[in-house]
Amino acid sequence: MKRTHWWGRVYLLIVFAVMYTPIVYLMYYSFNSGGAMHDFQSFTLEWYRDVLSDDRLLMIVLNTLVIALLSAAIATILGVIGALAIYYVKRQRTKNALLALNNVLIVSPDVIIGASFLLLFTVAGIKLGFTSVLLSHIAFSVPIVVLMVLPKLEEMSPTLIDAARDLGAGPWQVLSSVVLPFLAPSIWAGFFMALTYSLDDFAVTFFVTGNGFSTLSVEIYSRARQGISLSINALSTLLFLFTMLLVIGYYVLSQKGGRMYGIGGRK
Amino acid sequence: MNGEEIIRFERVTKEYDGMVVLDDVSFAMERGKFYTLLGPSGCGKTTILRLIAGFIEPTQGTIYFHGKPIHHVPPNKRQVNTVFQDYALFPHLDVFENVAFGLRIKKMKEADIRQKVSEALRFVNLEGYERRRIQEMSGGQRQRVAIARAIVNEPEVLLLDEPLSALDLKLRTEMQYELRELQRRLGITFIFVTHDQEEALAMSDYIFVLNKGKIQQFGTPKEIYDEPINRFVADFIGESNILSGRMIEDFLVEFTGKRFECVDRGFAPNEPVDVVIRPEDLELVAPGDGQIVIRVDSLLFRGVHYEICGYDENGNEWLVHSTKKAEVGETVGLRFEPEAIHVMRVEREDEGA
Repeated sequence: MKRTHWWGRVYLLIVFAVMYTPIVYLMYYSFNSGGAMHDFQSFTLEWYRDVLSDDRLLMIVLNTLVIALLSAAIATILGVIGALAIYYVKRQRTKNALLALNNVLIVSPDVIIGASFLLLFTVAGIKLGFTSVLLSHIAFSVPIVVLMVLPKLEEMSPTLIDAARDLGAGPWQVLSSVVLPFLAPSIWAGFFMALTYSLDDFAVTFFVTGNGFSTLSVEIYSRARQGISLSINALSTLLFLFTMLLVIGYYVLSQKGGRMYGIGGRK
Repeated sequence: MNGEEIIRFERVTKEYDGMVVLDDVSFAMERGKFYTLLGPSGCGKTTILRLIAGFIEPTQGTIYFHGKPIHHVPPNKRQVNTVFQDYALFPHLDVFENVAFGLRIKKMKEADIRQKVSEALRFVNLEGYERRRIQEMSGGQRQRVAIARAIVNEPEVLLLDEPLSALDLKLRTEMQYELRELQRRLGITFIFVTHDQEEALAMSDYIFVLNKGKIQQFGTPKEIYDEPINRFVADFIGESNILSGRMIEDFLVEFTGKRFECVDRGFAPNEPVDVVIRPEDLELVAPGDGQIVIRVDSLLFRGVHYEICGYDENGNEWLVHSTKKAEVGETVGLRFEPEAIHVMRVEREDEGA
């Protein structure tokens, strides 16, 4: 085995400590019966019971999940279509321009996206609530899906399409039985990315959500402002664990994809 | 040609963004023969293949398939299948499903598909590999899968786009035999694209030599090798000594300042010509007995023969393949039969070639 320098490990340890300590701290006190983020008294699941018996909160969790799944699914479909469209653009300059427009949406600050959506929805007369949140989530997820799918598409040998046509496949069959199966791992990856982006989006949602509709991150924020209750810790812990699950799912999928198409591929 | 015509090109031109890759090409091909399109890269040979497959359309001219123009027949409706240079196997399908792809598109019954696929795999000696993933197959095996995938559809014409170029030398030689054998057993037309002249000579019934989007010569391997029509073909088809000369009269040619008896005729008196003598037709003799005397410049041992390179007194370079050894710096004579001399017309419009 290759020996790594000990200071490399120490550095890594410090970085992870800095990043994870607040989360672990928060999770730790979610089991505190003392009701505050200091002086751990005894272990309790009281705050989790609080969370689970809070109907309003469960409703919000449901909203969040529905928004995430719906927006991720729609964004995946749109993103794949978008990636295919960009792939088939012949002129390199047009292609780069489209890609740049796509990437700008990813790097531009959420606050600006949120504010501009608020403006758009107000002008267009769309009522703030479920629809506006869904639309904005779809909008910021599409570029992510495009970014996940396009490289895989570029990696695909164009003779693969020729071969399918040569063997009798019409345009639709080429897409459904060659291109989409080839892209499947990256499509799933795009879907999971869109899902996590939607789940933990705060800024955009904060702008476009109206009265009576809320998602988890917005709810946690407003509760945290009202005062300290450890049920927020419990909720955050649950959310964190759920996100971890998604990350693991994404990892497993991309590993599988790597085994299927990457390793052992031609040259 | 006396066989049944299957493909005909009539004055076909193909341009990409104003670049002419195929320049006013006309030819016909018979059913059941092995054709090779031979030429350097960029000569237009792959373009011809893609035109036949239907991936591209000619800029001008007409392509006939069984006497009917096929311009507006899309590739999926043509009785033609292709073996691609990179094999283009579908990575998400196993060997069986790759071969079955075309049959599934045709909505064939499952039992028939199973039978045809295993037949095709047996044809290419890949029985028992049905459930292998493409990634687990070696280069030679992938090659065979690609061939099986094409022939299972029972095409009338099989197009092969440099299918052997990714294989190592030993496997390539083996596959040459196998492909030739396969073509005989199937009895369909093979159109094989390559830039390797040995491959072309070994496998084909007929060879088209292409350069710069034009057909330079068409003929059997022997015709092409023995009677190259111009400097380009002579040079491309094998190592040769090409010299400028003058045709004095029928059966008499002059080069390197000397006159030689030859077997060619039909040239104008004193017409400038190019003369080809293959290096294996030159015999090493004592300087006094030689028709040409050269000073040996370099010597390479090639296994079967020595490759000797030398210069005559006029500074012409001579390449000799001989089983006899010569020393560098030594003066030797070269002898050749009148039959070894091949006289070609000098092409005015294409002198750069």
